[in-house]
Amino acid sequence: MTQQTVTAQVTPHMDVSWRARLRRFTTPAFFTGPAFVLVFLFFFLPVILTILISLTDMSVATISDIKFVGLKNYIRIWRSRTTWKILRNTFIYVGFTLTFFNVGLALVLALITTHIPDRWGTAFRTFWLLPRITPSVIYAIMWTWFTADAPYGIVNQFLQIFGVEPRNWMSAQPWLVVIAANGFVGASFGMIIFTSAIRSIPVDFLRAALVDGASTWQRIRYVILPMIRWPILFVVSYQTLSLLASFEYILLLTDGGPGFYTTEVWSLHAYHRALSNYFGNVQFGYGAALAAILVVIGVIASVIYLRVFRFNEMVAEPKIEVI
Amino acid sequence: MKRWLLLVTVLLLASLVLAACPQPTPQVVKETVVVTKEVEKVVTKEVEKVVTKEVEKVVTKVVEVEKKPELQVIKLTAWTIGPDEPSFYRRDNLIEAAKRLNKDLEALGSNVRVELEATFDTGDWGDYKQKFILAAQAGNAPDIILSGHEDVAPWGDAGYIIPLTDYIQQYWEETYQDIIPALWKSVEYKGERWAVPQDTEARPMYFSKKLLRDWGWSEDQINALPQQVRAGEFTLYDMLELAKKAQDEGVVEEGYGYWTRPKKGGDFYHIYFAFGGEMQDPETGKLVVVKDALRKWLQFHYDTVFTYKTTPEGFIGTDWKIWHETVSKADKVLFWNGGTWHWAEWTQKYLDGNEDYLWENVGFMLIPAGEPGLSPTTLSHPLVYMVSSNSKNPDLAFRIITLATTADLNSRHAVNSGHLAILQSQFNHPAYKANKFLQEAAYMVEYTNFQPNSPDYGEYDRILWTALSAVMAGDMSVDDAVAFVEDEMQNSLGDKVIFK
Repeated sequence: MTQQTVTAQVTPHMDVSWRARLRRFTTPAFFTGPAFVLVFLFFFLPVILTILISLTDMSVATISDIKFVGLKNYIRIWRSRTTWKILRNTFIYVGFTLTFFNVGLALVLALITTHIPDRWGTAFRTFWLLPRITPSVIYAIMWTWFTADAPYGIVNQFLQIFGVEPRNWMSAQPWLVVIAANGFVGASFGMIIFTSAIRSIPVDFLRAALVDGASTWQRIRYVILPMIRWPILFVVSYQTLSLLASFEYILLLTDGGPGFYTTEVWSLHAYHRALSNYFGNVQFGYGAALAAILVVIGVIASVIYLRVFRFNEMVAEPKIEVI
Repeated sequence: MKRWLLLVTVLLLASLVLAACPQPTPQVVKETVVVTKEVEKVVTKEVEKVVTKEVEKVVTKVVEVEKKPELQVIKLTAWTIGPDEPSFYRRDNLIEAAKRLNKDLEALGSNVRVELEATFDTGDWGDYKQKFILAAQAGNAPDIILSGHEDVAPWGDAGYIIPLTDYIQQYWEETYQDIIPALWKSVEYKGERWAVPQDTEARPMYFSKKLLRDWGWSEDQINALPQQVRAGEFTLYDMLELAKKAQDEGVVEEGYGYWTRPKKGGDFYHIYFAFGGEMQDPETGKLVVVKDALRKWLQFHYDTVFTYKTTPEGFIGTDWKIWHETVSKADKVLFWNGGTWHWAEWTQKYLDGNEDYLWENVGFMLIPAGEPGLSPTTLSHPLVYMVSSNSKNPDLAFRIITLATTADLNSRHAVNSGHLAILQSQFNHPAYKANKFLQEAAYMVEYTNFQPNSPDYGEYDRILWTALSAVMAGDMSVDDAVAFVEDEMQNSLGDKVIFK
């Protein structure tokens, strides 16, 4: 008798548990499914395809008879005398643009425009966004003429006042031009993020600092910067990955030159080899191998940032209740 | 009393007026209304009627008219490029040929007509070729593509274009026997002809008559220079010496003695040929690097920048517009190399059509021999029409190309853009004969070289260009550059390239 009663009670309980478990799985799957499909199709699958192509000799000439060549393309990259130079260029480009413009200048601009009357600050930020909405080709042509040799370049006309000998600045200082042209555009992203972060600092903190007699620099150093630490880390991480993959302004300004791959960065080199060849035969396989290495570099950089900057803490729930 | 009477009278009148006003309470009023209405009444009545009718006899004549079949319009596309703007007849000649084809089809009673959508690109060669490659892979390539002859090999191997040997044979008597025989070599690959030459050119060494005149040279001396070059008496290093001397004596500024092309391109290779270089083995078709010529080629470019200082440091990458504006005036640079098409470009774009200015101030000659005993040279880069394998109507596409390959159409293109003849009959065409520049540059074809038709030429060119631009920028010594070329060729091309 007792046994029968127990059985009757357990069966419905197990049924509810199974349904609840299923619901626990289906609801998140329903909401995350589309995103998962998109990520798979547009992020994961291209990486797999890139790696597969990198193991072939695919080029324009061999497209109708593609052969598997194993790691030959990677060995060619390893042996090439251009590889280390291009890798070094990539670190120079990412490092300097990130430090001096995309984070450094962006922070300076955000601090300045939040410390002047709001009307002027907003107008200044709007003005600074203009290059970002200008077509890249127009922007690059402006820089080309801006830095052209005498009697054309405005830079020369200006510097002549100070007795500087005119020259083609694009050829004479290609890194300066490339980093500045990229940086002036790139700084606007950080500027917007930092401005909103500074604006979100409770004004009581800043007032308290004023009451305590803190100078402007001390307020920036001890109040503002610590409180916008996470946005800074986000911009550093995001812009690092963004710069690793970006090359459009370099392509338009110097095309990787002048001279011996002076400003050729990894992503531009992959583009040159995989998609652009002056005499028609582009090498998809070799270019894909270069791109695959860039993916690996990007993943390593991401892991480092996630670990070093402890991103999991940033996205964790707050430990105290904030009213 | 009178006042009382007046008051009573007024009150009485007022009462009467008020009495005439409508009553505020409803009142029953009886009214008689007379309504007049017209009523129609239909009456049926038989009437006798006499009708007089004229009868016409209608004769129907049947004329048999043959019903015309509906016109079938076939749409074709063609992509062409300058990039020099005066070369727009590369597109317009195809459009004219399509019109002629339609007339032929009409005369033959065909119901087929073609509609050609042709474009002319003035952008970058690399972008143009990339666009075609991507379109061909997507199956959307145009029916007709114009490009450099060197694309025959990679695009032929890829299956992007179709071999035209049989088509050419079909119209041999009508058209193609007239093509200058040497040009066929530029479109041959793996025993097939893959394209039809559209134009060719020479790449002369230009010099400023104006500056030489200002320096004290007589007209006879100036006019004798091209002949001295042709005879091998004036070499590339003689040119650098002269340019350096002109700089030292203040005729031109430092860095203005000799200007190369400002950007990547085939022009640099005529210097390699001038030092005895070869690019392709005629027997095996393999690419060739002549090490001695390679070293001298790199050394020459090093010397012009760093030893003689006749070309400015950081020169490569100079904007084309600045280059054209500077050299076309002939008042700053003593020697520079360019193409015959530049003559037309300078006339039309930079000198407001004043060709006389060029004749007065600019001279042209072959690229001088690298050393005594070697031959002067030049480079031709025939552009060619090809039919893409995506074309659903290759017969019609080829027919258009054939009809665009005529003395009148090619001559109008040649005269307008400064390109040389591809047809023997063009030499007798009035427009071509009347063009002084083309006549005077014609002899250069005898000294010309072509770049190789090889699928690996792109990689070969990349390596050579990287080495050359590194040397000119001071990033590599000549020895390092030679070693770099050997290593990279070995790494990238292996036994596909022969070192001599």
